Amino acid sequence: MSEPALEGFALTRRFGGFVALDGVNIALKRGEIRGLIGPNGAGKSTLIDVLTGRAKNRRGRVVLNGEDVSELSPQQRRKRGMARSFQRTNIFPELTVEQQLRVASWAVADADIAEVMNELNLTALAARPAGDISYGDQRRLDLALALVGRPQVLLLDEPAAGLTMDESLALARTLRDLVNRWNVTVLLVEHDMQVVFTICDRLTVLHLGRFLSEGSCAEIRADPTVVAAYLGTQA
Amino acid sequence: MLIQILNGVVYGALLYLLAVGLVLIFGLREVVNFAHGALFMVGAYLGFSVAAAGYWWGALVVSVVAMAAIGCLLDAAVFRTLRKQDPMVTVLVTFGLLLILETLVTAIWGKAYLRYPTPTILSGTVTIAGSPFPLYRLFVIAVSIAVAISLSAWLRFTRVGLYVRAASTDPRVASIQGINVDRLSLIVVGLGTALAGLSGVVAGPLLTLSPTMGSYILIDSFIVVVIGGLGSFTGAFVAALLIGQIHNFGAIYLPWAATILPFLLMVAILIWRPTGLAGSRA
Amino acid sequence: MSTLAQGTIVVRPRRIGATTATLLAGAVALAVGFALPLLLPSKIAMSLFAQALFDALLATSVGFLFLQNGRISFGQAAFSGLGGYAFGILVARGLVGSEIALLIALLLPTLVAFLLGLVIARVSGVAHAMLTLAVGQAFYEVAFRWRELAKGDDGMSFDLPRRIFGLSSRGLQDPAFMVVLAWCLLVVVLVGLALFARSRIGMVTAAIRDNEERARFLGYSTTLPRALVYALAAFIAAIAGILQASYNGYIAPQMFHWTVSGYALIMAILGGAKFIIGPAVGAVVLFYVKELAGQVAEYWPAIVGGALVLVTLTMPQGIIGILRLLWLRRPPQ
Repeated sequence: MSEPALEGFALTRRFGGFVALDGVNIALKRGEIRGLIGPNGAGKSTLIDVLTGRAKNRRGRVVLNGEDVSELSPQQRRKRGMARSFQRTNIFPELTVEQQLRVASWAVADADIAEVMNELNLTALAARPAGDISYGDQRRLDLALALVGRPQVLLLDEPAAGLTMDESLALARTLRDLVNRWNVTVLLVEHDMQVVFTICDRLTVLHLGRFLSEGSCAEIRADPTVVAAYLGTQA
Repeated sequence: MLIQILNGVVYGALLYLLAVGLVLIFGLREVVNFAHGALFMVGAYLGFSVAAAGYWWGALVVSVVAMAAIGCLLDAAVFRTLRKQDPMVTVLVTFGLLLILETLVTAIWGKAYLRYPTPTILSGTVTIAGSPFPLYRLFVIAVSIAVAISLSAWLRFTRVGLYVRAASTDPRVASIQGINVDRLSLIVVGLGTALAGLSGVVAGPLLTLSPTMGSYILIDSFIVVVIGGLGSFTGAFVAALLIGQIHNFGAIYLPWAATILPFLLMVAILIWRPTGLAGSRA
Repeated sequence: MSTLAQGTIVVRPRRIGATTATLLAGAVALAVGFALPLLLPSKIAMSLFAQALFDALLATSVGFLFLQNGRISFGQAAFSGLGGYAFGILVARGLVGSEIALLIALLLPTLVAFLLGLVIARVSGVAHAMLTLAVGQAFYEVAFRWRELAKGDDGMSFDLPRRIFGLSSRGLQDPAFMVVLAWCLLVVVLVGLALFARSRIGMVTAAIRDNEERARFLGYSTTLPRALVYALAAFIAAIAGILQASYNGYIAPQMFHWTVSGYALIMAILGGAKFIIGPAVGAVVLFYVKELAGQVAEYWPAIVGGALVLVTLTMPQGIIGILRLLWLRRPPQ
């Protein structure tokens, strides 16, 4: 049980001539909650895409619970316990909230959905078509779809995107409670630093597609190279 | 043998003119014009009326101009209004227009097959490789080649051509850079439909006119654009020649293969590139 | 403890109620079906309605493909034609028993559609429209030229087998019998589709239709479910084709023609393709408008084309959609 839950080796992705990700390594211990931060264009979403199998034309290896999953499709990775949420809300607009969570649960041995619905405050919206609910509700639904079935490894791409400060904080706390209770390994991309510091144990910093730094929240906050990277891109 | 190949090229030439129109329209409006075959037919019938009155060359001009006008109307009324909606909406609307146009033609010209006269200058035959070959068919090939060359030159060397290429690659970026995509589309769609009309008029003496002539050639032209890549003019050229040959040889030797093969090619291409019609567009 | 805990969900009882309601409605509809020969004034009226029902079945096939796969097919007649041809040819040649012929005529189009579905699962939108148009026409052209198969473009008459499933087959060409049979089959199909929509596989295909990418990330392979929907749609189309071929005792390449597919599509859109009964309603409405159009029927394609343009632009939800809207907006009693 001491092996890392998720590892990425020399992950690289190109778009034509542009290198979005350049030889990034990452390793998450079981139950760890890692934040993935960096200035805009750092390659954070790309890393999530590569780890979850959404990206073609990539190099490097992805290892999940000791198994090399680099060639596996997203559906195969989900079956092996890796789930993700999306920065741009990716839900099923014509299905009701409950219907799509049920669909999600059927793929993972009829997992319970009541708890997830309760925790993310979606119970009252169960019978509403997902296209009709508010943006904030849709964000939580996007997250809920990833949480159904208690995935072992959870990759979240800006779950608080577009939410108000209060909504973000509430989401962050709910998330932290859930993942701690379920012992889920999490990689969280976020711009909202409040969310990051509320949930994460350690942080990985990317800059211009490359690994920049890694450490505890306190260490990263004090790291001069990280500060410089953020300040530099605010010019 | 050479004669057979040339006959295939003739049909390919007709298909090329249609395919270019489809590619032009798709390039700028991102829609596939299901009414294109009907426009081919209307062009042929319009030409017939003028040619039957004795003005064969006038028929060419009238038809092309009329179809260009219809194309502009089509762009302004349909393609521009629907450009924000799902492309399937435009497909359905143009499909409805196809039915309307076919009925219109039947109402005006009747259902009987009509014979389109060949102009006296082009009525003779030419000896190629020891066999007689109708001069008119050479004319058709020549027209097609002339269009291909002019189009190529226009796209490459004129400013409007540059705008068209830019807008075809990315309409949004092009409009941000100041190109009036709507005005450009008017020209381009008009050109596309004019070519459909040209193909129809030119095809007149070769085929008998009937209200269903549009549908048959439409499907072949769809196959051509899919195989050639919907964004590519060169692709359309090559694919048109290919389908022309298959159509011709198949009709003589293997009617089956002629029917099934183009369709199989189309399926194969769509599987290989399932986003299907990207052509040069990402 | 979580700060967002809410109450529990109560859902189950509602779902069973819906299924029972559907089955009940189906049973009532079947009963009405048996009463049809009494309700319709003449043999001719029965014959006409039967033909409207054949259209309704094909339109349902098209509509179902759109409803569950989100795909618009311009070539569904390929499968109804295939069903009709398979039945007609097998029966005419006496190659197999009548029951086997029926089975083959149903399963062949279904299998072909399934394989095709596997292959074109990733093709959508306009490319799909062009592809299905070409498929339908390919079948037409083959049937047109293959004279040894079924006399090519002349079409082929055939005699029905004397008995089928132990019953005399004369009924298949009797308007009263056929109208009841066609109606009952349509009802069974519609009930089946309603149950399908609520089943797991139905919900999964609906999810794939809504957002294929997310469905994959939930762990679903999307090709197989899509192919299944293609197969089911073709099965329904095959029924239509077999009924029509049997009733007329005649098969012709026209059964594959793109106009047949196109009109079926328009019927589905007119009635409202997002509703299970929509296409059938659209088909019957269009059929009878044509019958009543009389002289104006000269211009029928234009009328249909115009209707398509109108419906697509102004009331895409179709007749059933409009009715539903009116029902929801009715003044409180």
